[in-house]
Amino acid sequence: MQLKKINENLEKEFAGRVSASLEDNIIHVTGELDSWDDVIKACTMASERYSKTHVVNDIRFTGAEIPETRVPSLNDKALDGKQVDVLVIGGGITGVTVLRELSKWNLKLLLVDKEADLAYHGSGRNDGQVHCGYDLSKGNLKHEYVLKGNAMYDKVCSELGIPFKRVGQYGGTLSDSRLAIKLFCFVKKHFHGIKDMEYLSAKRLYEIDPNLNPGLKFGTLNSSVGVVSPYELTIAYGENAIMNGAEISLNTYVKDMEVFDGVINKVMTNRGDIYPKVVINAAGVFAEDVAKMAEDRFFSIHPRRGTNSITDKKTGKYVKGVTSVKYHDPNAPKNTKGGGIIHTIHDNLLLGPDAVETYEKENFETRQESINVVFNKQEKACDKIKQSDIITYFTGVRAPTFEEDFILERGRAVKNIVHLAGIQSPGLTAAPAFAIDMAELTVNILKETMEVTENTSFNPVRKPIPCLKDMPLAERDRMIKENPDYGIIVCRCEEISKGEIIDALKSPLTVPTVDGVKKRVRPGMGRCQGGFCMPQVIKIISETMGIPEAEVLKGNTEAFISFGKTKGGEIDA
Amino acid sequence: MLKYDVTVIGGGPSGLSAALSADRANAKTLLIEREASLGGILKQCIHDGFGLLRFGEKLSGPEYVYRDIKAVYETDIDVSLLTFVTKTEKTDDGFILHLVNRDGVTSVFTKTIVLCTGCRERTAKQVKIHGTRPAGVFTAGQAQNLVNLHGLMVTKKCVILGSGDIGLIMARRLTLEGAEVMGVYEIKSEPSGLSRNIAQCLNDFDIPLHLSTTVKRVYGHDRLEAVEVAKVDEKMNIIPGTEEIIPCDALILSVGLIPENEIAEDLGVTLDRFTKGPHTDNSFMTDVEGIFAAGNCLHVNDLVDYVSENGALAGKAAAEYVKKERKYAKITIDRTLGYIVPQEIDLTTDLSKVEMYFRSFSTVKNAVLEIKIDGNPFMEKKYMVVRPPEMEKLVLDLSSAGLTENSVISFGIVKKEGDING
Repeated sequence: MQLKKINENLEKEFAGRVSASLEDNIIHVTGELDSWDDVIKACTMASERYSKTHVVNDIRFTGAEIPETRVPSLNDKALDGKQVDVLVIGGGITGVTVLRELSKWNLKLLLVDKEADLAYHGSGRNDGQVHCGYDLSKGNLKHEYVLKGNAMYDKVCSELGIPFKRVGQYGGTLSDSRLAIKLFCFVKKHFHGIKDMEYLSAKRLYEIDPNLNPGLKFGTLNSSVGVVSPYELTIAYGENAIMNGAEISLNTYVKDMEVFDGVINKVMTNRGDIYPKVVINAAGVFAEDVAKMAEDRFFSIHPRRGTNSITDKKTGKYVKGVTSVKYHDPNAPKNTKGGGIIHTIHDNLLLGPDAVETYEKENFETRQESINVVFNKQEKACDKIKQSDIITYFTGVRAPTFEEDFILERGRAVKNIVHLAGIQSPGLTAAPAFAIDMAELTVNILKETMEVTENTSFNPVRKPIPCLKDMPLAERDRMIKENPDYGIIVCRCEEISKGEIIDALKSPLTVPTVDGVKKRVRPGMGRCQGGFCMPQVIKIISETMGIPEAEVLKGNTEAFISFGKTKGGEIDA
Repeated sequence: MLKYDVTVIGGGPSGLSAALSADRANAKTLLIEREASLGGILKQCIHDGFGLLRFGEKLSGPEYVYRDIKAVYETDIDVSLLTFVTKTEKTDDGFILHLVNRDGVTSVFTKTIVLCTGCRERTAKQVKIHGTRPAGVFTAGQAQNLVNLHGLMVTKKCVILGSGDIGLIMARRLTLEGAEVMGVYEIKSEPSGLSRNIAQCLNDFDIPLHLSTTVKRVYGHDRLEAVEVAKVDEKMNIIPGTEEIIPCDALILSVGLIPENEIAEDLGVTLDRFTKGPHTDNSFMTDVEGIFAAGNCLHVNDLVDYVSENGALAGKAAAEYVKKERKYAKITIDRTLGYIVPQEIDLTTDLSKVEMYFRSFSTVKNAVLEIKIDGNPFMEKKYMVVRPPEMEKLVLDLSSAGLTENSVISFGIVKKEGDING
């Protein structure tokens, strides 16, 4: 679109309050608005979907104060003076996949994340779907990498020892237009490379899932769609990278960078100054902030939150794959996959997410309205699932650019940065694939100034923590005889033993918090939500790590569970 | 494979009583407990008030339950601690239970099972509390465990949601430990806990009770910083404009207990939609022959004395269980009752002393419980007041009631008319 046309449109809509300018192939939108929805509208009007010319949002938003980035209270010099070949900023799926691919080379690798664990933001707060890409068309990075990534999942998950299952995505429609659906399937299959795209008659649809509401006319099936635990995958990637020589520093946030002549020389953190040869920007919702510090801001991230609900495993029987119903809703938001009902890898159902634009990058609050929106929509697919089946809900914040495609490229104004930005759905699916290409790009950048050799001892296999409840009884018996702690059940809902919790605490990336243990081996993920096991988990962390129970945290550095001992509690030594 | 006549699952007060009474009836008995010691939730209930009905004494939870634990260890009952039932199978003449403990996976055969699996607490998300996910949101039982068993001070300044008994007990407990309890909030228009607990735990400590008020949201990223409370109307919908933010560091939830019946469901036991516990007959046998249920997994009790008594009845019935043809009369309630246990009467049993437990749906002063058989008045019982938080026990002689198969015994509560003292 021509700049002139953009400005005419903006003028029409905002009467001179905002305007766009083009400089260095970047569209800057400036002005002043007091409604965040208007900010999004203005920038969207200035942007072109999938374009490499990005919109940078420079509108002064006067409607509310945009909160400061949350940072850990920790301050030390643990990393001060550290020289690394590659510094990865961000411990979500994007950062860890690249880190692990880079560990195939003999490089000094460091990943930093400001949170107390990996996968704290988007990667720990999504629906865990491995997409097939049927909602994407050819000609953008999302489409390219969703297909490549999906195909890699069996191998990657088997190497990393985490469960993955191709449950299939099927959906029905309330529309009467059989031809339109057939045509859609044909086009997707033959022109957009969605090889598993299938048209379903109503009969076949109900054969696949008899629990769907009656009355659906026909539908579609994509059998390559799978489910995975997104945080388990992120942690597994991180651990495998550590096994192969990479370092991960949590509770570490980047304060600023020293850039000279288009080169980042120094990265300042709360744990000291780091001297990297190449920086990888995998900072999710903060990718724009990192780009700004690197003096290479050529895109903007506009956070978009979504809320998912998890229901009791007892409802798992109602939906066996990923499903949703297509129907015409004029009020439906555009930039979302629309959510669905997902049979998770752990046999719960997950419903959601919705999509709401927000100026707050890390506001994970849930709202009842979100739950209602999702349930109202999904009950059109299967009305057997009720809000009373919910055991928990959570909010995540997506990190899209205004062009809604991934940014996977070397810095434009800065030579030694690689941006992996705008990674939102299907980012989890795509990450294993784009990580390979981005690692290669990084290595090539390094090769400009140094020799890079292959890590011949790279081991792709991460041995998982055993999951005893899924084992045949004889094998489980043998495991317990070797380690009796596997026989002590701590979490009754998910049937997790003390031994599994201790294993999690002794894994390559120890996160000795209640949430850290929960993300790794699931105590507290069940229907009682840790009501029974949380005190026991605190005790096991305390014993295993040699710290007092009063110092065990829920998650981040300020998430303390207790205020020390009760009166006279100190007698209990 | 070890073989038992009766296997009791759960070593809390109902399980202890069930095992003891099964043993007294000469059944070879196994008692399975998931935790490292017997006693169930009473281990952490260090306040007094237990045992008034059963022992005529005011005991603490550990004191109360110690009497039964001691008795169990004086018998031949096999006790299996730190043991978890991972899988169950039904056979022609009983059940095979696959157990996990420190020794490995073992399997036992049992003719009968008494489920004494207790209950769990409803959580924040199950009562639609929204906002962030900070540390500092505890269920009352969880807080009680951390304070009483771990000696950890979980709050300095808290709000308690729900006036159920554990919430009230924790209000007092935390006050005694030096915390400031900003108030107990209750969504209903009347308290959910026992009157004596309102008096002894709140009034005596000047802790305010806010009725028809609930917690809507929590604030705070890492540790809880505040809660938002709001008034509700008669339909329990939030009244806009009544929201108030209360700075505090913890939210303690006492918002209801849910019977734990996952093992029961695995075994095909039908649950009652009112109690959320198994549907049982007057021997507390479920609709799966040979499986009995007692205590808080059957229905949530308010006094442990009843839990013990109920456990003993179920344990004895399990020990005396023989497979036979049975004939049942049905029990129904109208909307004036919250629930009733049992839900049917086995006419092949002794009907001279049928024990029943019920709760009213709402508070009724000068209430009359009307019992009808096939629509004809059978008996009436008068109550000064019936309140949903206070379970009522009935012992009925139905031996001469002329019950036949498919008879319907119906229960309803009416307000006594024309009572000038009302």
